[in-house]
Amino acid sequence: MTVTRCVEVALTIPDNEAETALATLRRLGVELAQLRRADLYRVELNPAQEDAVIATLRDLETIYNPNKHSLRVRADRKPQAGELWVEELHGESRSSAAAARAGQVRIAGRLLPGVTRIERFTAWRMLENGGEAAGPEVVARAAQTLLCNPAFQKATVR
Amino acid sequence: MSVSEARRARVGILIFPGTNSEEETLRACQAVGLDTELVHWNADLDAVRSFDAYVLPGGFAYEDRVRAGAIAAHDRLMLAVREGAAAGKLVLGICNGAQVLLESGLAPGLDGAVAVQAGFAKNAPHGKFRSTHVYVKLAIPPNRCAITAGLSPGAVIPAWASHCEGRLAAQLDVLDRISRANHVAFVYCDASGNVTPEAVPNGSALGAAAVTNQRGNVLAIMPHPERDAWTFMHHDTSREQARGNASAMLATSGGIALFESLAKALAR
Repeated sequence: MTVTRCVEVALTIPDNEAETALATLRRLGVELAQLRRADLYRVELNPAQEDAVIATLRDLETIYNPNKHSLRVRADRKPQAGELWVEELHGESRSSAAAARAGQVRIAGRLLPGVTRIERFTAWRMLENGGEAAGPEVVARAAQTLLCNPAFQKATVR
Repeated sequence: MSVSEARRARVGILIFPGTNSEEETLRACQAVGLDTELVHWNADLDAVRSFDAYVLPGGFAYEDRVRAGAIAAHDRLMLAVREGAAAGKLVLGICNGAQVLLESGLAPGLDGAVAVQAGFAKNAPHGKFRSTHVYVKLAIPPNRCAITAGLSPGAVIPAWASHCEGRLAAQLDVLDRISRANHVAFVYCDASGNVTPEAVPNGSALGAAAVTNQRGNVLAIMPHPERDAWTFMHHDTSREQARGNASAMLATSGGIALFESLAKALAR
């Protein structure tokens, strides 16, 4: 039996990439008050190994630096309101089935025992004035105009 | 009126924050006699519009934020480039410049559309940055693209591939149309011009190193010909043979051919 967990790594310092994307989206006519970005790892794992896997992720400084990142395990496994998840197609964002069969799923070169699948997304969270989540039409426009290139990326919204 | 009497075509080399190959590109353009200027992102837009052709050099425009080329594709400078391309001006994008052209929809421009139809995705199979010497072969009739019209059929040009996101990627039906409509201007090959899977450094679909638009006035090429434009940059024995001979070392190398072809196109 396996369980799926979403591990979110986000900057706690100002995110220049998100600010650049926000400024560009506004210039393209997508009205947003805030745009936040996070790296999201959807991990399918043996529940007995969960604590060890999260500890390994916390130990990987190439994806999580406690001086500038937060790391949290989300209860949800799909985008929430105002969220856009972008994933690369046919790329490195998914572990291979062969790696799973061989028990060799890795992230940033580190073996993750007990993990059968890992998918990486960029999660964009869009807020409108007043702090409420952006509506689905705004999220879709942001994806179409800038945040997702459908030629090689897949956008998932709520 | 002779070419020398005519007004020389002016080429603008566009610099975005993070561009880093403008000097080599400038020198290659100047070496073939082009009247070339560096144009910064905050330049007056009407001044940018006054150029006859544009070259988008390599680098990491806007730090590759969101995706390589994605933010620069929407930079105000690109208004002039879009207008110019629509008016038939020549536009050459190299490496990051090529990524900008695909993200802006100026290439491949299937059916004449300006829309994002393809992209340069992370290299396969490992998604890692590669810097390696390559050869590219002209895969279209030379006059299919104005910028390649001065090359010989099947011309082989040396260059340096230096990128993390250089794999041409698109939906399968789009790739089929790109191939059938002769949008793949250059493919990777070996030094003898043999097109082999081993010659492709990044898993690029169709073995593509460069794509052109339907009209043939826009060319997006991933490897850098300007980094193999002089013998001292070259990778084979010619560089070793030139050691101790300054004039031989500073002689132009194969990569200059693309800039010579650009200059010929602009002299017409």
